[in-house]
Order: sequence, then structure tokens, then C-alpha cells
Amino acid sequence: MPIQQRAEQIASALPPLLVEAEHVASTVAQGVHGRRRVGQGETFWQFRRYESGDSPQSIDWRQSAKSDRVFVREMEWEAAQSVWIWRDTSPSMAWTSSPDLPEKRRRADILALALSVLLIRGGEFVTFLGSGIRPSNGKTTLERLAKIIDHGDQDNAGLPPVMPLPRFAQVVMISDFLSPIEEIEEVARSYAARGVKGHLLQVVDPAEELLPYDGRTRFEGLEGEQSWLLSRVESVRKPYQQRFKAQREGLQSIAQRLSWGYSSHRSDHSPNTALLALYLAMTQDRGR
Amino acid sequence: MLDLGLLAFTQPWLLATLIGLPLIWFLLRVTPPSPKTLSFPAVQLLLGLEPPEETPARTPLWLILLRMLIILLIILGLAQPLINPTAVLPGNGPVVLVIDNGWASAKNWDSKMNAMVELIGRAEREERQVVLLPTAETSSKRRTIVTAPLPASEALELAQGIQPHPWPIDRMNALETLQNLDLGSSAHVVWLSDGVADAQSDAFGQSLRRVGSLTVLRDQTGALAKIVRPPEDDGLELVVTVERAASNAAETVVFSALAEDGTVVAREPVTFEADARLAELRLQLPTELRNRVAQLTLENETTAASRYLLDESSRRRPIGLVTTGGAQQSQPLLSEVYYLERALEPYSEVRQGSIDELLARELAVLALPDIGNLTPEEQERLSQWVETGGLLLRFAGPKMAADSDDTLLPVRLRGGDRILGGALTWDSPASLSSFAEGTPFAGLEIAGDVKVERQVLAEPSLELGDKTWARLSDGTPLITADQRDAGWVILFHTTANTDWSNLALSGLFVEMLRRVVAVSQGVSDGNADRIPLPPLEVMNGFGRLVAPSADVMPLPAAGQTETPAEENPSPGLVVSASHPPGFYGEDIKQRVAHNLADQLPELEPLGPVIGASAASYSKSEEIDLKPWLLMAALLLALADLLLSLFMRGLVRPQLPSAATILIGLGVSAAALNAGDAHAQSLIDEGRALEATLETRLAFVMTGTERIDAISEAGLQGLTRILRRRTSVEAGAPLGVNIERDELAFFPLLYWPITADQRTPSAEATRKLNDYLNTGGTILFDLRDPSATARIQGQQSQTNLALQRLTANIDIPTLEPVPTEHVLRKSFYLMQEFPGRYAGGNLWIESSNTQTNDGVARVIVGSNDWAGAWATTELGRPILPVVPGKEAQREMAYRFGVNLVMYALTGNYKADQVHIPFILERLGQ
Repeated sequence: MPIQQRAEQIASALPPLLVEAEHVASTVAQGVHGRRRVGQGETFWQFRRYESGDSPQSIDWRQSAKSDRVFVREMEWEAAQSVWIWRDTSPSMAWTSSPDLPEKRRRADILALALSVLLIRGGEFVTFLGSGIRPSNGKTTLERLAKIIDHGDQDNAGLPPVMPLPRFAQVVMISDFLSPIEEIEEVARSYAARGVKGHLLQVVDPAEELLPYDGRTRFEGLEGEQSWLLSRVESVRKPYQQRFKAQREGLQSIAQRLSWGYSSHRSDHSPNTALLALYLAMTQDRGR
Repeated sequence: MLDLGLLAFTQPWLLATLIGLPLIWFLLRVTPPSPKTLSFPAVQLLLGLEPPEETPARTPLWLILLRMLIILLIILGLAQPLINPTAVLPGNGPVVLVIDNGWASAKNWDSKMNAMVELIGRAEREERQVVLLPTAETSSKRRTIVTAPLPASEALELAQGIQPHPWPIDRMNALETLQNLDLGSSAHVVWLSDGVADAQSDAFGQSLRRVGSLTVLRDQTGALAKIVRPPEDDGLELVVTVERAASNAAETVVFSALAEDGTVVAREPVTFEADARLAELRLQLPTELRNRVAQLTLENETTAASRYLLDESSRRRPIGLVTTGGAQQSQPLLSEVYYLERALEPYSEVRQGSIDELLARELAVLALPDIGNLTPEEQERLSQWVETGGLLLRFAGPKMAADSDDTLLPVRLRGGDRILGGALTWDSPASLSSFAEGTPFAGLEIAGDVKVERQVLAEPSLELGDKTWARLSDGTPLITADQRDAGWVILFHTTANTDWSNLALSGLFVEMLRRVVAVSQGVSDGNADRIPLPPLEVMNGFGRLVAPSADVMPLPAAGQTETPAEENPSPGLVVSASHPPGFYGEDIKQRVAHNLADQLPELEPLGPVIGASAASYSKSEEIDLKPWLLMAALLLALADLLLSLFMRGLVRPQLPSAATILIGLGVSAAALNAGDAHAQSLIDEGRALEATLETRLAFVMTGTERIDAISEAGLQGLTRILRRRTSVEAGAPLGVNIERDELAFFPLLYWPITADQRTPSAEATRKLNDYLNTGGTILFDLRDPSATARIQGQQSQTNLALQRLTANIDIPTLEPVPTEHVLRKSFYLMQEFPGRYAGGNLWIESSNTQTNDGVARVIVGSNDWAGAWATTELGRPILPVVPGKEAQREMAYRFGVNLVMYALTGNYKADQVHIPFILERLGQ
């Protein structure tokens, strides 16, 4: 199934999310979900009788000429922001522990696109970080994004490049975040310094979390790391799991400090859960 | 060769490499198994982690032992160990193999071949040369070949080409060629004998002794070849003698007489008494079968002498009965021809016709009733025929008495006849005197009531006494015979009918004629040619008839192969390489059998040769372990490979279990099939009787209990109606399982269609097709009022089921029943064919008088007739009819009656339809 279809399929299963979003919109003055009220914007909202205090510039003369009264044209309040999604395309993502599970890369791609679908459906401007496409909420944007994913480019950077983004833009990073915590923090900080809000979505394979191997095993990295020979893997399972937990806690603390969102997703779980969590995080963030 | 008694090694030096085993052990110990390698993205997190204690990684002990075992097996295997090694052949010169490959060797040839191969194998191990000496002539022009000393491998190739020949061996001749060879002083001779002695065998054994140390191999005496001697025909029975070499224990062999095409005409056991060398079988066969016999064979014997070929000459003698001229009388039951025919028939083949017609074919005996004068041409022809071996049997009578100038008589006759016991004579009718010894009739019992009233009298002469075979009580000759060259002229001095005597009425007459016929020489066609006979089919060494090879020479002349064994046959006619036994002649009609058994002397077993060791052909116990050891090593190596792959995680362990499941399934399926077949054979006979002793209606069991019960009740109801109203008195209906039961017994099958019936198997489909093509009729009932309107369509469930069930059955073209169809008139006149439902169309095979006697094979409808016919035991209907009214049920019964009538009577009823027209035409 082409990735776009699949992503739309996942996204379509989330109507309650939109309901929730609508609820949020009524209280939030920004963002697409709160726009069903008068405000500054470009889209026509309603005509209403002129009342004292209204700016004369707001009078719609054409409408007023049709009757004896004077009407004011009101526009819908619109303040869409751009969301920049980045997904890890390093070789370490193209890995799965079992043929029954999708590669982390594939899962990350689906999540990225599903998020784009949701956002575009909500009217947000979306693009992929580093894709060169301007943020947009057009239907074609989705197709262009899907095309990028289908193209399947790979790079070796385990972290997004630091790029100048507009203020109040949001950045979503989807990766396994197995790079050293310091490097991740450095990148996140440089975005936060520009006032960009962010979300970290960590996609991991269950084997990475649990290390379910035993026996004499040589582990080799996928990005040219040093290989490591273990005579009995089962004996180091506990310390490994602690290290993995420490990595995750490190990410959480980065997100906390920068008041970014953080969520974790295991590739043997349903992507819908992860999408919901991510989307919730983004919408709640808006409510603040 | 290293000999350890029970075990020997041919290549012992290889065992030295066993020293290397501990080294290999050490090498295997130090190499740890390579780790499995995994790619892992989170390897960063693993870096620096160390297990608390590192146990040294080593190959498990059992794996080392396995690998050591593999190497051990390979070394031992290459050293070629032998269990029960045979002793070394004596001497160190060449090994001479003398092979009897004449006719007698074909028995147990395989064991001789094995012995030969084994001996050559032993010679090869000892690196000795081999000389091969087959004692029979080769089929090619060259005489017996002896090979020069050959390397064993070459000798093996040659030895495998040696075949038994169907002719006798010539041992001394073979010996000559051997003596031309320089074999040194320490040659070893092995004589692979056929176990049959001949005049030369003792001398031959002694001569072989002088060549070198001698071992004689021979079969057990009881297992030697047997001979089927030439059969003798005593007119009634074919007497076959079977000869064996040994005479110790009782033994039974199976003898069969085969026809030209190989079919068995007769098959009888022949029993040798203990201490008897000969066994006799009397084979009594009707003439037709008797004359079909072309070969006499012993079962399980594969020699040329165990198969005796019969040709035209040994057929039962055809007798010509001249029926023209005076023999043809107005009262056929009183004619001589009639009496002769009745008397000759039991023992011979009788042909009737004119003299010319009869002599045109081969004939042994020509019976000539009193037909009066023969034309000079006929006389000439007859005497020529008699001279070349024919037997002319004449009967006296009024015509002969009137004209005694005939030359074709054994004695000169006086003119006129002699009347005994008439109204004007003093004598009483004469009876027969007993038969003298030396005549063919010797031993026959005189019937006292035989009286001769009239006879012709012979002129007294010197040789009259010799020529007389039977006399009357007063001494006058009654039967005289004269031999002319190869043939005979025999005269009965009385008639062949009851005019002159009542001899023709007695059983004695039959016996006498049988003796007379036995005197004849067999078939003589009167113009025996002397051209050489080309081979037609010859035997190979195993007694099978094959096409002759180019080396086979034609037999010099015909007619002489019957030379009895005790006379010395002329050299050209001996069975030899250029004249192997078989059939010779231009074509099958005129072929001559050339048999080995005719010339074989008495069968005697070969005695022991003084100074030689004797042995039998039993197989040696030597077992070469090399291939087994190497095979075991290979299997273990494969197992080791699998284990290593498994230990590295490259092979998953599911595969073997899947294979086990497959094998298990196969075994259980086979077991199920076997059980099924067994049960089936038990059912069949009883059921066949049940189905055929009465005419029965039958229905196909659908497997749905309710529908089957209705079908049965319905057919029962219909049967009751048929019994009451028509002459069809059918038995209780039967359910038929189309998968299992034979369908051929039923004229009509009622087949209710249900959606959940199982599709017939290929076998059932074949049976259904056979049933339809050989006279069966099937009524398909869809039991669904809406179905037939769209019978070719796709709609209803039952319709689909019908299509599915009949997918592979040859359903002919169907049409709605035409208005003038027989089915509408076969008993009742009907317009509609209602069942439980009314209205549906009835489809029937479009009328085609060519097949199945004009009866439609397939009728398809949807009205659920069985439902309408079904009644309880008391005759009450079970199901209501739709739309209602018992009149409809009556019409349903009428349809049933019409249908059964139609199926049973076929086009007879169709003809009835035409009666009005026939009557109309007759009226005109």
C-alpha cells in the first residue's frame, strides 16, 4: 500500500481527536481549531449591522447599498502556524528485530505523514524539515510530502540540522534518539532559543528496549560504530535496560526543560496510539 | 591384505593414519565456535558492557566426538575392511574360469554369473590374471573362444557378456583351445559346471586337473535342469514325459501347455516319485484346445530343454471324410458318412468334402466310404498321396462288391459279396474273433454282440495273413491293411453303416478307428518339398523365442525333424550354434519345430572329479564394509553440517517437524485407503445379489438423512402403485452411494439434488458416465419449483448444485418434453408432470434413437416427485402436495408409472405410439 494511503487510513481513524480539537479551539485564540469566530483573517465570516464603535473601514459598501442599513463585513480570525516535521533517515532506523515488525524507519514515516494529514486537515501549514518545501496546507502538499517519503533518501545524521525557522513555528522530531544525550540537547536548545516549540517522538524497536538475545553474540552497529562481542548476552541484559532507561529519561528531561513534548513509541504497538499522544501533546501545548 | 580372521583389511597401510587422530582431537578442541553476528542499532548502549564472568567458549565435547567418529569412519572405510573374508585363491598364476554355458546352465544362471563376478573380484584383489573359457560354441562362426590371460577388470567386462546358449556344450573342443595357451605351472582352474554329465565330462575333469589346481562348482542335484521329452499322442491323450537328473526325493513341478499367443491352454502339476527320474503327464484336451497347443513348458524352468515346441506334425490328425458321390444319400441318418463322422469325432478333427477338396489341404487319414468307382485321376492322386505318407481308410459295400477292379485296395477281392445268415443261407451271422498280437487292434476287447452279415472276400494269397488285422470267427479277413511306401491302405471288408453289420453301432468301432488313425504318419500334404527351411523364431539360452540372428542357418529339409531320438540324427539336423532350437519354415502355417530335447541323452548329474575340490554356487559370506562406512561418514558429516548451522542460528528447527507431519499424513492416508478397499470387497457380492435378484428402483443417497428417507418412501410408494396397476413387480427400492456402489444393476436412478451434496469423485464420475452410456436413465430432481425455469442459468442453490454435481458427467442436449414424446404416453396419457409441486418444466434428452435404445438417458425436473409418491407403511401420504388436491398426487403417480415404463420398455413403447399409423396403412 502506498504510504500516503496508509497514512490517511490511520489518520482517518481519529475523529475524536478533531472533536477534542474543536473543544480546544473555542478557548484558544490561535491555531486552526479556534477559528470559528470573528477576527483578523482573510476569509469572509459574516455581515452584521453597523454598530457604533466599528471602524468605518470595515463597512462593506456593496452589501450596504443593497438595503437601507449599513453592514460591516467581518472576517474569520485566522492565525495558522507552520509545523516542521523531521524524521530520522539514518541507517539505524532501517532496522527491525523481527520480520513481523515494521522497520523503525517505516513506522516513523507513517507517523510523520499521518501527523501531516491530521494537521493539514485542521488547516495547519506543514512541511518536512530540510525538504525545501514551503509550509502549506494544500492537498498537494500532502502528496509532495508522501513523495519525499517514498523516495526513501537516507542520510547519516542521527539528528536534525539546525535551521532558521519562523517564530512560533513548531518542530516535530521523530527518531530513535540513540545519539548521545548531549548532542540531542544541543540541537533542541538551538531550536528553542529561536522560540520554536518542539516535540520529540522516540520510535524504538522492542528488541532495543529489552535486548532479548542470549548466547555468544557479536553486535554490530548500522552506522559504522564499533562492534561489540558479548559471550553471554543474557548476563548484561539488566545493565543494558538501565542504560536504555537512562537515555529515555535524558530525553524526557530535555523536553521538560525546554517545555517541549516528548513521547515514546515501540514499533510493536499501534501507531494510532503514538499519533494520538503526539497530537494531543501538540494541541494541549496550544492551549497553554 | 591384513587378515584378522573375521575381519580383513585390503589396504592396511591406511590404518597408519589413525595415529593422526589425537592431533585432530587437539585441533578441534582449541577452535571455539564462531559467535553469531547481529546488527543492532543500539550498539552504542552496549559498548563497555561486560558479562560478569567469561566462561571459555569451547566446542562441546559431543561435537568433537562426532567429528572424530567421522574421520575414524573415513579412515577405516578407505582401508576397505571385509567381514568373513574368503580364502585366498590357491596358486599364484592366472585364474582359469571354465564356464559351462550350454543349455543346462541357463538354470540358476544368475548364481553362476555371481560366482563368476566374485571370482574375478578375488583375482583382482590378488592381482592375478584371468582366463575365460566358455565351453559352448559361440553363435558366431568362430569356434569356442578362450581368452588370453587378461587383467581382471577386462575379464569382468567379457564375463558379463557371456550368455547361456540353447545348444549342448562341447567340452573337449574347448579344452583343446585351452591347451594351446601357456599358463605356467601354478594356475588355478575353476570349473563353473552346469552339473550335467556327458560322455566327455570325466576326461574333461582330469584334463583340467593337469592344467592346475581345480575347483568344481556345481548346483545341488535337485536344482539341475529338467527336460521335457517329446510328447506322444495316443489318440486320446497327450503323454508328456519330464526328465530330471536326480532321483532322490519326490518333487512336483508345474507343467503348462501354451498356445501360439502364449495363453495357457492347460496347466497341470507333474509329480516325480521319489527315486524316479521320469515323470509322466497325461494331458486330455478337447481337439480344438489340443490343436492350439504350440509349446509345452515347465514353469520356473528357464532352459531350452524345458520347452518343447510343437508344429503341425504333432497336431491331432485331421481326417478327411469323402462325402461326394454315392456317399451322399437321401437318408442322412443311415448313411455311412454319418456313422463315420460320429465314430471319428471324439478323437480327431473331421473334415468333409470331395476328394479333391480334401487333398488340397494337409490330411492324415482319408476315409472313403463305399462311393463306387473312382476316376483314374482320383486314383492317381490318391495313390500318390498314400505313397507320401497318407492313410487311406476304405469301407466295402455293394458298389465295391460289384466292381473289384480297384487298385487302391490292400488285397485283391473276389467279385461279389458273401452273405452270412440271410434267408437263403445256412450260416448265421459271424462274430469277430479276438485280435491277434502284433496288429494295431491288439488288446481291444471283442464285443460279443457284433455280428457281420455281409462282407467282401479277399482272394487268398501268401501275404494275406500278414495283411489281415482282424478276422471273423470263421477266419475270413474283416480288416486288411497294406503299407505302400510311407502310407497305408486299410480296408474294412464290411460297410461303415448298419447295412452289412452292426459293427458301426458298437463302441468297438470307435476304438478300432482310433487305433487306425494312430497308425497314420501324421499330416502329409502329398508334396513334401525338400527346400531348406529358414529360421522363423529361435530360442535364446533361457528358452524364450526370439527373432533369429544372422548366424542361424536354415534347416536342410522339412519332414525329417521327427526322427526319433534313439536314431542318430544326421549332422545337419542336430541342435547346434547354427541350428538353435526353434521354429523353422517360411511361415507360421508350415513351420517345423526343431527341438533340443529330441537329441539329448539321458540326463545324468556330474560326478565328483577326483583330485579336485568341489563347491556349490551358494553366495559367499564376504561383506565389503567400505561403501557402508563411507556412507555412514557422509551421513554423519551432513548431520554435523546441520548441527553447526543450527548452532549458529542459521537454520530453524521447524523444518524436520514439518517433514515428520508430512510423512505421518502419507502413512495414515495409505492406511485409510487400504481399510476402505478391504471393506468394499466384502460388501460387494451380497449387495450385487440383492440388487439383481429383483428389479428394483434406486435412488442416489444425498447424505441428508431426511431427504434420503423421503426418497426411499417415495420409491416405495411408487413401487406399490406399479405393483397394483402394472405388470412391473419391483422389489423394495435401494439407496445407492454413487462413490461406492455399482450402478449397472438399476434401470432407473432417482437423484434428488441438494445444495450440500459432495461433488462426485473422478471414479464416481466415470461410473456415472458408464451407466449413462450403457443403458441407464437418471432422473435429476431439483426439488425446487422455481429451478427449472432457468435451468441453464445461475440462480438457485439447487441449480448450482446440479451444475456442480454433473460438471464432468456427459449430459446430452436437453429439451422440454415434446408433446408427442413417449413419456407422455407410455402408460397413461399425460400433459403435465406434477410432483409435490406442479408446473415446473420437465427437461429430457432430445430424442436420439441411436443411443440407448431411444430411451432418454437424462431427465431433469424440479417437482419433487419422491415427495408426492412418499407414503407411510399404511399407504398414507407423508407430505402435502402444493398447490393441493389429491388429484395432483394421482397425476404424480401416473408420471412415475409412465417413467418406469419408459425406462424399462424403451422403444417398444415408442413403437406403440405409431400403432394408429400402422393400422391406418394396413387398412389401405
